[in-house]
Amino acid sequence: MPRLLLLDAKWDGELKLTKTLKDHLKKTKIKSIDLFASTQFAEIENLLKEFKKLKIKVNIQKAKRTNKPLQILGCDCYPDSFEKTLKSDMILYLGDGMFHPKALILAVDRPITIFDPISDKIKVVDRKDLQRELNKKKANLKIYLNSDKIGILVTIKPGQQYFLAAKKLKQQLEKEDKNAYIFIDDTLNPSHYENYPFIQCWVNTACPRIGTDDIVNINQPMINLRDALDPSRAFVELEK
Amino acid sequence: MYKLDLDKLISTIKQQKAKQVLIQLPDGMKQKANLVVDAVEEQTSAKAFIWLGSCYGSCDLPLGMDILNIDLVVQWGHNKFNKEMW
Repeated sequence: MPRLLLLDAKWDGELKLTKTLKDHLKKTKIKSIDLFASTQFAEIENLLKEFKKLKIKVNIQKAKRTNKPLQILGCDCYPDSFEKTLKSDMILYLGDGMFHPKALILAVDRPITIFDPISDKIKVVDRKDLQRELNKKKANLKIYLNSDKIGILVTIKPGQQYFLAAKKLKQQLEKEDKNAYIFIDDTLNPSHYENYPFIQCWVNTACPRIGTDDIVNINQPMINLRDALDPSRAFVELEK
Repeated sequence: MYKLDLDKLISTIKQQKAKQVLIQLPDGMKQKANLVVDAVEEQTSAKAFIWLGSCYGSCDLPLGMDILNIDLVVQWGHNKFNKEMW
């Protein structure tokens, strides 16, 4: 097995309280922040000092799948992905792109404020911005419950491999008199799904964002493993 | 815009005496892959190769590299994570 070196690829700029961010914080009159960042923007010492000067309390916690407090991963996208409830006046994400803040939107039904230090822009997003994904997720859950032939997708990538859980789900489905088939691949490629037209609904056991972000781009219904194991909880979480 | 951290890369390759190194970059950094290969091959005796495909996180590592005798995989943009158990 080769050895592995992970390099954070930190942003080469300096993270600071810009006028844009300061004006936004003043305008919203918030007193506390739940703060998250991607690893590229995790050097926040200066920013914390500035927040203190503004008398804003900053709450930082470690999300379930991350290795460090503050950081958020795309797979921390469920209500139980956090040790503590996010109840500050504002949930603030530092970083560029939408992949990580989308995890926060999926996990909590609250507006997420994104501060992009590169463009010095602020954007506020919420579940309305994910309506297509959430509607499709709900529709797919209903199809799953009414399907008799279910395909369970397993990747061999070690970080996303849930073969045992797939076998457990297959057993669970067979107890419900359904037919379940386990499909194995390295990278899950949607173009392969159409070769198995007998599958009425797919269950993705790899990255949970496949079962949220990617479902709007494929014709076949698909849900995530967590939702397949407990569809009732999945419906409740969609309403949260 | 994002640091390649080439010093750390080069020192790790030398320290581990790696001979064949696979470079895995996220989409936003893929255009710098040639700079990384050039730096590795100029500053060490190792050969460097570029992973063509995805790099979504440390959960998304290339497999089968032992078949090619790759002895070090280097991934940018991510760090350790805790795999959820079901």
